[in-house]
Amino acid sequence: MLRGIQDQLLDLMRVPYEPQPPDGSAGSIHIFRSGRNYYRWRLIVWLAANFGVLVLVSILLFVISRAIRFAPPLGRFVGEALAVLLVIGFLGSALCSFLHQRFNYELRWYIVTDRCLRVRSGIMNVHEITTTFANIQEVRLSSGPLQKLLGLADVEVHSAGGGGKGSSSGHVARFEGVDNAPEIRDFILARLRQYRDSGLGGKDATHTADTEEVTVAAARAVLAEARALRTTLQQP
Amino acid sequence: MIGVPAPPEIANVDRPRKELLTWYFFKALATLFAFPVTMLLFYFRYHTMRYKFDAEGIHMSWGILMRHEIMLNYSRIQDIQLHSNVVERWLGLIRIEVQIAAGTSDSEMTLEGLPDPEGMRDFLYSRMRGSHPGTTTAAAGAPPLEGVLNEVASELRSIRELLEGRRT
Repeated sequence: MLRGIQDQLLDLMRVPYEPQPPDGSAGSIHIFRSGRNYYRWRLIVWLAANFGVLVLVSILLFVISRAIRFAPPLGRFVGEALAVLLVIGFLGSALCSFLHQRFNYELRWYIVTDRCLRVRSGIMNVHEITTTFANIQEVRLSSGPLQKLLGLADVEVHSAGGGGKGSSSGHVARFEGVDNAPEIRDFILARLRQYRDSGLGGKDATHTADTEEVTVAAARAVLAEARALRTTLQQP
Repeated sequence: MIGVPAPPEIANVDRPRKELLTWYFFKALATLFAFPVTMLLFYFRYHTMRYKFDAEGIHMSWGILMRHEIMLNYSRIQDIQLHSNVVERWLGLIRIEVQIAAGTSDSEMTLEGLPDPEGMRDFLYSRMRGSHPGTTTAAAGAPPLEGVLNEVASELRSIRELLEGRRT
């Protein structure tokens, strides 16, 4: 029942289904997901926030009920309507934000292949980032005290560039609320090690191969000379 | 992949889809009182927007009074981001933001209103540095040089030994 409503909502919002994994070698695709505790953690945050709002709404309702007693009939009507609107508004926003937490947890994918990674997140604003390991500059792990208690951490993978607007801006792929952060970090670092020229620059495979070939040819020529010199010397 | 022309379905893209103008209309609505001005700017932006995807990179231009032209090399792309909000998805639009390594936090190039954004993403990815296994095999191809140099060293050593033997 709940599942069906959820699917219809997602359909209505035209949220795309699971992202298609990027091009990589066969069998190298790993899909990481947020930990189950991430959902609990978000629910706790949601509860705390809504509790705060509930207290505020109760105070407002109390004030309105006091004010209504001494008001003329029209004022009474306005006061009652205001109270009803407040309650409906509160319930509606609580439900929406609850669904948001749920979707936010379910609709997150962190895909890693042997050459690149792709991170998808978001419901209203769907955001997907794809970057290759050749472009990655640093990998960062972070977790607050509460997150640590729940065994959660964020892994941030930065590519080159400013990205000055904070963590939500470009150049950063965030693996949010994962419960196996060290494993993911090692996984990414192991793949990074395969790229000697990681980082900046427009060097491409063909160029490195070319220069390498030229150097090898030159070294071969030196070898041939040295060999010829030895054979001349060996002759009595 | 360097210098290979883009496939026809990519190379033929030169104008954004007309749904983009609808999206611009909603975007201009959000500016409330400034609507007439912003809508006019968006209208010209839409009608002067041109794309060109060639063998080396992306060319994008727009504007009449304020003319903008951006050229970007495929191999300099750092990451590709896809953004879409609810309204854009209803219109079937997805923004592709292409980032290169520069100081600004804004994306360097936003490709709007493309007919097949996901196909475009895959194409751009295929032209990115490091998207092909070639890079790693090139790095692994180092041993030949090392081997040759070691052989040279051993040849030189035997020459030295020969010379030393001759001197005594």
